[in-house]
Amino acid sequence: MSSPEPIVAKGLGRQFADNVVIEPLDVSVDRGQRVGIVGADGAGKTTLLQMLAGILDPTVGECRVLGFDTRREAKQVAARIGYMSQGFTLYDRLSVKENLSFAARIRDVPDELYRERSERLLSMSGLGRFTDRPAAKLSGGMRKKLSLCTNLVHEPELLILDEPGLGVDPLSRRHLWAMLDRFRAQGLTMVVATSYMDEAELCDRILLLEQGRVLADGSLEELLRPAAGRVFTVNAGNTGRGLRELSGILAHIESVHSVQWLPDHLRLVMNADIAENQLAELLPEGTHLAAAEPRLEDLFVLRTEKMTGEQQQFPELTRQDRGKEEGLVATGLSVRFGHFKAVDRVSFEAPSGELLALLGPNGAGKTTLIRALCGLVAIDEGSARVAGVSSGGGSTTLRRQIGYMSQRFSLYLELTPWENLRFFANAYGLAGGAARAAIDWAREVTGLTDIPDKLTGDLSSALRQRLALACSLLHRPRVLFLDEPTSGVDPVARYRFWRVIRELAASGMTVLVTTHYLEEAAYCDRLALMLDGRLLAHGSRSSLNHSLGLAADATVETLFTAAIEQAGTANSRALGP
Amino acid sequence: MKAHRLGALIVKESRELIRDPVTIALAVIMPLIMLFLFGYAVNLDVEQVAVGIYDLDNTPASRDLSARFDSSRYFQLEQKTTDLRDLESALQSSTISMGVVIPAGFARQLLRGDEAPVQVIVDGGYPVLGRLASAYAEAVIANFPAPRQSAVRVQARVWFNPSLRSVNFVIPGLFAVILMAFPPLLTALAIVREKETGTIEQIYASPVTSTEFVVGKLVPYGLVAFLEILMVMVVGFAWFQVPIAGSPILLLTSAFVYVLTTVGIGLLVSSLVRTQLAAMLITLIVTLMPSFLFSGFLFPLFTMPLALQLYSWLFPAGYFMEISRGIVLKSAGLEAVLPNLMMLIVYTVLVFVFAAWRMKQKVA
Repeated sequence: MSSPEPIVAKGLGRQFADNVVIEPLDVSVDRGQRVGIVGADGAGKTTLLQMLAGILDPTVGECRVLGFDTRREAKQVAARIGYMSQGFTLYDRLSVKENLSFAARIRDVPDELYRERSERLLSMSGLGRFTDRPAAKLSGGMRKKLSLCTNLVHEPELLILDEPGLGVDPLSRRHLWAMLDRFRAQGLTMVVATSYMDEAELCDRILLLEQGRVLADGSLEELLRPAAGRVFTVNAGNTGRGLRELSGILAHIESVHSVQWLPDHLRLVMNADIAENQLAELLPEGTHLAAAEPRLEDLFVLRTEKMTGEQQQFPELTRQDRGKEEGLVATGLSVRFGHFKAVDRVSFEAPSGELLALLGPNGAGKTTLIRALCGLVAIDEGSARVAGVSSGGGSTTLRRQIGYMSQRFSLYLELTPWENLRFFANAYGLAGGAARAAIDWAREVTGLTDIPDKLTGDLSSALRQRLALACSLLHRPRVLFLDEPTSGVDPVARYRFWRVIRELAASGMTVLVTTHYLEEAAYCDRLALMLDGRLLAHGSRSSLNHSLGLAADATVETLFTAAIEQAGTANSRALGP
Repeated sequence: MKAHRLGALIVKESRELIRDPVTIALAVIMPLIMLFLFGYAVNLDVEQVAVGIYDLDNTPASRDLSARFDSSRYFQLEQKTTDLRDLESALQSSTISMGVVIPAGFARQLLRGDEAPVQVIVDGGYPVLGRLASAYAEAVIANFPAPRQSAVRVQARVWFNPSLRSVNFVIPGLFAVILMAFPPLLTALAIVREKETGTIEQIYASPVTSTEFVVGKLVPYGLVAFLEILMVMVVGFAWFQVPIAGSPILLLTSAFVYVLTTVGIGLLVSSLVRTQLAAMLITLIVTLMPSFLFSGFLFPLFTMPLALQLYSWLFPAGYFMEISRGIVLKSAGLEAVLPNLMMLIVYTVLVFVFAAWRMKQKVA
């Protein structure tokens, strides 16, 4: 008996008005396969998944899921699959048990089967102790696990997951994947959209998506083959040169496709295969060169035009000495919203010129901490100083010291970029010649040399990101806060962005970056790990790895997981007998 | 439609509703606030009109006439003057709404049996008040010093609301307005909230059909609306002491059909828009405004131009307004209210069919 294939799509495409989100594509998925869909924000991952789940009709082509047409037989498809969307899929006011039983009943699961399965699912997900807790009061990780349970309770043949790791702490993420592994062992077919490298590695097959087109389709190994032998790391060794100077030299070498500037080394992607010793000859004497493992990101980089030497040029930023060299200091800082402690006794210090990453899943308290430091929310306990000014009162002196670029790039979308720059210059009290000079400087720093004559809302997200950065730099702040600055931006633009940030830090600006993409932390000097309002650990990556007993090259992901586990055991020790 | 799925939807929806104290409070308090505000504010009775008397005669007869005004419950003597300029400025500043001028020689002319002219000056700035006040003044003056005989006598009897209390007419009208304002507002937010939070994608990706989904919303919200009916009616009849002439059961049944219509309108709006804000605004525009203007609540429909009368048929508030007032004031039976009731039933069915059809099972 041959059961129908889980997914067979022919010429499947979708456009919204004139915007083609998914170019017509053919794809089929075999039973028991785990397929990862990888791509930047806006690549069309969600649209593709929605079409596969039958909740979005394609504009062209057709798709059969488990033998049913997704357009005409959507309800038959729905009864046989699980679809976990990216956003919130739970009813906040219902308890864990109520959410699960609702999911089971609307999916026609008989009561006896439900009782048996719910017990198994709840114990597997570790939610068994919280069955009566309302979903609103679960942590991000628990919510995701419950969402997954609601999509497994009818034992679907195909599970479609849209970025299951988003906004989830690394430990919960590991549990989530452990659950998925158990169902995979029972032959469950899975399609997972992800932007996490380690999740992609767990897939049998990866579809690499870029702007609605399938760039590559195959195992991770197959996919990375074009980049094999083309990726290297370089550090200054004993040349006595800085990484800044070194990257300038590298950018002018013909065969170097891109240069990524990390705290203690540079990462190169080459145009063509090149032997290590051949490349070594091109580099200044004394630099230390090593071959590196390619990553999926490198494939995107290779597909884009080589950055010209000119594009990689940055203005020399004069180091700003303004007497006291004080960056950021927080001592026992707490912020409460009612009974909820959004920030719980956080203490850290970041000297002037440091690039500090504040890491944690959504809801960890990162944004609240930044807002408290900026004087935008009241501090309930403890204190904070920003560039020598107390964060308490939210005074104008404080505002003059800080630049803030928020998650959504708070720009006026109905104004042109130029009008945005002028507005923010005026808002910071700059007028006439001073405003023009500040705008010119900020444009030069961020590489916004040609400003398109369009409304800001029509710009690409990469350009918008640069514009938002320029706006937050106009008054030359001493401390810069970046709240999720790289969301929705492609890798090449991201390299460039981080490069600018490095330059700014090198000029003496203190930069605090929040991100839930732990890989981004690689760009920063030091890391601060946050979970549930508390600061778990804080220090350079190598010192944190050392203190947690991890290998020196352990990933930030592993590091964070270890830190949570350590904090967890410390907690249970404190609570224990 | 499968019973267990529908049951799960209704249970889920009811739990969410019960655990949302703000919504419950809004559902209970807002209709009562509106009932009290409008019950007291919309008073169409003209009483205690402020009068100024410009008495140039100043005789016992003229003072007697002044006293008649003062003692009438329709008037209140605000000013007595012998300077015409005072009267003019008092009318301008609205201290009085009506002036009575008693010319010199008034008593003498009365004694002689001649016609004794009295001038009444009415502030026409508010026409309804002006018209009523001048009619009342004429009645006071016509009966002075004693009722006159005439060949034809009018014997007017007021039916249905013999005391002519306007609250008896306003409260049953308010039922139509309030039940149009609040139940759809609650319901309109119900589906859109799921669109905004994203939980609706789970519904799309499940075997739940759009009919099940819509009915699953309708039942709990319909129940809340029915509670609103009971509350508004009990308070309306008990507090404002409006006598109910017809059958309370018939009124309640018709009201139940009516809230099905209004809840259906909320569902329809909810299935069409994407954000809670849009849902709220559109619901207010299609329900609250027309139920004030085009239902006959305060402004009789038959005086409107034909085009607007036809337009008013679009809004169900008018049908229930007639049913409600018919039962409460005129003791109308099923036969009398049936045409309007049928209209409501047809309306409800149309709204539901349209909402379930519009309620697509897709993201876009």
